[in-house]
Amino acid sequence: MDVNKTYKGVALQEVLTLLQQHENTSKVIAGGTDLIIQLRECKVTPQVLIDVSSLEEIKGIEIIENRVSIGAATTFTQLVNSPFLNNGLEGLKEAAKSVGSPQIRNIATVGGNICNASPAADIIPPLLVLDSELYISDINKSRTISLEKFLIDKGQVDLKTNELLCHIQFNNIKNNQGLGFSKLGLRKSLAIARISVAVWVEVEENTYKQVRIATGACSKLGVREREVEALLLGKPVEEKTMQLGAEALKTQLEKRLAGRKGMEYKREAIQGVFKEALTKATYLSKT
Amino acid sequence: MKKINLKVNGVDYSVEIEEDVRLLDVLRNQLRLTGTKEGCGEGECGACTIIMDGVTVNSCMVMAFQAEGKEIITIEGMATKSGLHPIQRAFLEEGAVQCGFCIPGMVLSAKALLDKNLTPNREEIREAISGNLCRCTGYNKIVDAIDKASKYMGKEGDVNGI
Ligand SMILES: Cc1cc2nc3c(=O)[nH]c(=O)nc-3n(C[C@H](O)[C@H](O)[C@H](O)COP(=O)(O)OP(=O)(O)OC[C@H]3O[C@@H](n4cnc5c(N)ncnc54)[C@H](O)[C@@H]3O)c2cc1C
Ligand code: FES
Ligand code: FES
Repeated sequence: MDVNKTYKGVALQEVLTLLQQHENTSKVIAGGTDLIIQLRECKVTPQVLIDVSSLEEIKGIEIIENRVSIGAATTFTQLVNSPFLNNGLEGLKEAAKSVGSPQIRNIATVGGNICNASPAADIIPPLLVLDSELYISDINKSRTISLEKFLIDKGQVDLKTNELLCHIQFNNIKNNQGLGFSKLGLRKSLAIARISVAVWVEVEENTYKQVRIATGACSKLGVREREVEALLLGKPVEEKTMQLGAEALKTQLEKRLAGRKGMEYKREAIQGVFKEALTKATYLSKT
Repeated sequence: MKKINLKVNGVDYSVEIEEDVRLLDVLRNQLRLTGTKEGCGEGECGACTIIMDGVTVNSCMVMAFQAEGKEIITIEGMATKSGLHPIQRAFLEEGAVQCGFCIPGMVLSAKALLDKNLTPNREEIREAISGNLCRCTGYNKIVDAIDKASKYMGKEGDVNGI
């Protein structure tokens, strides 16, 4: 580890100033659950660490008009316990609950999960189907970008070295909408998802008026499955529609993972995981 | 080098740290609180579990400088002058300890649970220790012990006063 200077930020402006000053030699640390391992394996070699885990300005969950805003330094435990997320968003809580162990959830943050951009990052699929927007700042300006555009490649995101991810925002869920999440892990605790699916639906007169689907660990990134979404649009809420979606996802995985290890397993498993997520989302849209 | 202030087991410390060390290293090597164990060093095993500002964390997953201003409880902070904490007592009585390496972490995960919920069911107990690996006991006796401790603590009322 080359770290020889550390700062524990208490105000956003101060952190942004430090990031500017140490632009090429620093790393932001939040929960540290990804970064500390990378530091110890010398996969990243910053000299300066800037802690944001106590930065109140980017912690916690708020509802602003009809938008939900999640601070990047919010831990998974805080998300799971938040009174501001209503039932329809159960899938988001479920994804957070499925992360690691209690000890990991108590410090690991939503922002760290996004910026680390692992293909198996659990909070990414539900945030993708919520059409999340990220609020990013440097000392001079702020910008917004969709989560989908922010994710460039495995472990690679659209974030400059002087920038900080501050908030994640999405439209609050309406009565006839629901978000479901399902994950296949090796073992319940500490399972890094093999595959996960998040489904967001809007149901009107027993038909799918809007559908958004995202998968985790089925690509080098968490991705939206737009071809499958298009197929389900306007279809009735019934077993046949669910089967149609499951088979379409299977085809997607066969194409995308052709020749890769685990394809045969994943293309079968994805169908059950998808059906569970869709069933939950549909149920939530009706209650 | 940098000076950090933190409270461990009710005592205020001001410690000179190297900036690249973990909280686990400071607890063990500088404060000599070696009850906190290092197993995997990667957040997987829970042997290094401590309570920080009321919640369990793996001290191998916290940089020492991040602990500035924090309140920490380690296994050394569980017993008092009047004796073992009821959780420790229950672990001994139930035979929940074999080699003992996982036990400090188990006890602290149990404390974090029972501080919030004095009547957990077995499933809730299992969930609370799901980040603590034990290669000896098969977990059942540990769950029994935490269940027993919850009864002790319920009876004795004032949890913090024990
Ligand atoms: C034992 C174990 C089990 C795990 N299980 C799971 C699991 O089941 N599912 C899962 O998805 N993940 C899991 N993880 C991975 C990890 O816990 C998560 O990815 C976590 O959300 C990372 O958050 P953090 O706050 O710890 O990030 P950190 O390690 O602090 O940071 C990660 C990266 O993001 C950057 N960063 C953090 N916050 C910001 C910000 N606000 N602005 C800009 N950059 C930022 C850092 O510079 C760093 O590059 C596990 C990890 C461990 C050790
Ligand atoms: S040593 Fe910290 S979790 Fe294993
Ligand atoms: S008693 Fe040996 S690891 Fe748990």
